[in-house]
Amino acid sequence: MSDQNIIELKDVEKRFGSFVAVSDLTLSLKQGEFFSLLGPSGCGKTTALRIIAGFQDHEKGKITIDGVPMKDIPANKRPTNMVFQSYAIFPHLTVFNNVAFGLRKSRLSKAELDQRVNEALDMVELTGMGGRKADELSGGQRQRVALARALVMQPKVLLLDEPLSALDKNLREAMQLELRRLQQSIGITFVMVTHDQYEAMTMSDRIGVMFEGKLMQVDRPEVLYAQPCNREVAAFIGGMNFVPAELIKEDGDQLQIKAAGFGTLNIDVNPNVRERGSALLIGVRPEQLEIAATKPEGYDSTIEGTIANVAFYGESVHYYVEVEGLTDVVSVAVPNYFHTVDYKSGDKVWLGLQNSSIIDLGKG
Amino acid sequence: MRSEASKGLALSAPASLYVGALVSIPLGILVVYSFWTQTYVSIDKTFTAVNYREALTDPLVRHLLVRSIFIAGMVTIATVALAYPIAYFIAFRTQKKTLWLLLITIPFWSSYLLRVFSWKLILGFNGVLNSALLSLNLIDQPLTFLLYNELAVVLTLAHAWAPFAILPIYVSLQKIDPSLLEAATDLGLSPAESFFRVTLPMTVPGIVAASLIIFIPTVGDYVTPALVGGSEGKMIANLIQVQFGAANNWPLGATLSLIAMVTVGLVAILFVVLATTAGRRIR
Repeated sequence: MSDQNIIELKDVEKRFGSFVAVSDLTLSLKQGEFFSLLGPSGCGKTTALRIIAGFQDHEKGKITIDGVPMKDIPANKRPTNMVFQSYAIFPHLTVFNNVAFGLRKSRLSKAELDQRVNEALDMVELTGMGGRKADELSGGQRQRVALARALVMQPKVLLLDEPLSALDKNLREAMQLELRRLQQSIGITFVMVTHDQYEAMTMSDRIGVMFEGKLMQVDRPEVLYAQPCNREVAAFIGGMNFVPAELIKEDGDQLQIKAAGFGTLNIDVNPNVRERGSALLIGVRPEQLEIAATKPEGYDSTIEGTIANVAFYGESVHYYVEVEGLTDVVSVAVPNYFHTVDYKSGDKVWLGLQNSSIIDLGKG
Repeated sequence: MRSEASKGLALSAPASLYVGALVSIPLGILVVYSFWTQTYVSIDKTFTAVNYREALTDPLVRHLLVRSIFIAGMVTIATVALAYPIAYFIAFRTQKKTLWLLLITIPFWSSYLLRVFSWKLILGFNGVLNSALLSLNLIDQPLTFLLYNELAVVLTLAHAWAPFAILPIYVSLQKIDPSLLEAATDLGLSPAESFFRVTLPMTVPGIVAASLIIFIPTVGDYVTPALVGGSEGKMIANLIQVQFGAANNWPLGATLSLIAMVTVGLVAILFVVLATTAGRRIR
């Protein structure tokens, strides 16, 4: 990854009638970066990707790719290539001719064309499959053909529209790692659209989280998880217990607050929060809470509660605990080290919490 | 518990029996007749190939057969060429698909004969077209090349068969996933290049179906050539009709029918092979 920006979007807006699909989208992507646009369906992420590709016009704003304004450049002349959600493999052509499709325009010699197509097939591990017909391919193979067909064009930016959503879980996880490896080895900028937070987290250098046409936060996966900018982002990425609180005192990068159920706490200011009032919202990740049968020692705050529900996930056990003063149950995730479920519904338990694991989410 | 295959057979049995009886029995009779001969008022039932010898050596038969195939070919080309843009429009460029599909069936709401007569009225010596051109002073005398020739037959048949060409082409266009055209654009193709490299090869089955649906019946049409074809628009079916009517030579008529059927079959097979191969070569 270099510091040079490959794509710059400035104040891009797209409306469908009165519906604002994308509003004020401003974003700079670095050369060689794996960037994901993450959000629920209908949030405008696919529209944003299609605007970059040139399939969708936009009313306002400016897009430049590698320093060139894209305003009057149609989709077929842009230095981008796309992996479609449906893969869009040409059913009347073989794998080889699918991959060679875009190259045939460039009047390469036959030897050169063969070499480039075969290299692309090798890259996606489809060596020797060139003669297959499109309808003889599995879902994973179709995905690889789509990838090879786009990469063989040597685009400046590869756009991926929900590339793994049509695959089953095991294949999807294998392809996540493989796509990441491929992107790092060829050094092309990847822009992926996904609604799957785990997919975005495991693959991306940076993630942009979108809601209702607006880009809420752009950050590295760790930062998004540790310091989400508001409730929506926090709820979309990982599990989170939300607790309403009141601001008592703001002191530099420290906040003194009174949280429902937990009482008075001193927490760090989250630098990503944009709005803060006297009513605050704080968040605690389920795995950051300690659960014990007796009052645990060494925690900044401890509270008593009753187990309402237990959910066994295999690698972890989730306890849902009713706590006095809180309307929502508190969820606690415990790694399943000893293959035991320690508590059952109705048990009295203690929860322990460190101030450092409390996330300030700004205005409540 | 019956198997899927036997269920399928049972379901298709009524139609198969009906069609089978109504096709194979007359066809069998036709074959038998073609080996008999007409002797003035009665039929000589000794088996002989004399009808075939006569038909295959007669230059008139050959001439009419070639002309029939030529006219039907022209009709097919004209109809498919005109139908494709309409099918394309309905498949990709309008939301009111049902309305348009309904509109293209309007010609069927009036009888076929009436439609042929309308063309006669439009193209005739004192017809709509000539009157209009005369009153606009664009011509001094009525045009005579409009009616009673091959052109009139092609025009009339192309109009009559257009819906049959639009529907199969529409169906094959409808099956194209729009993301395929976006993929073609994404890979650098202009709209025209996308059409020739994606849309056209993917609609070859529709084009082939439309062509056969038009070509096969039009080769054997005798109403249209009889009404608007004049002497130079006569086709093989007119000759066959005469054998079964005025000439009262059923065996020769049967022979001509079978020769025409086999010829059309061979031309159709050749066309399917050529069109499919051509479609596969586009990449």
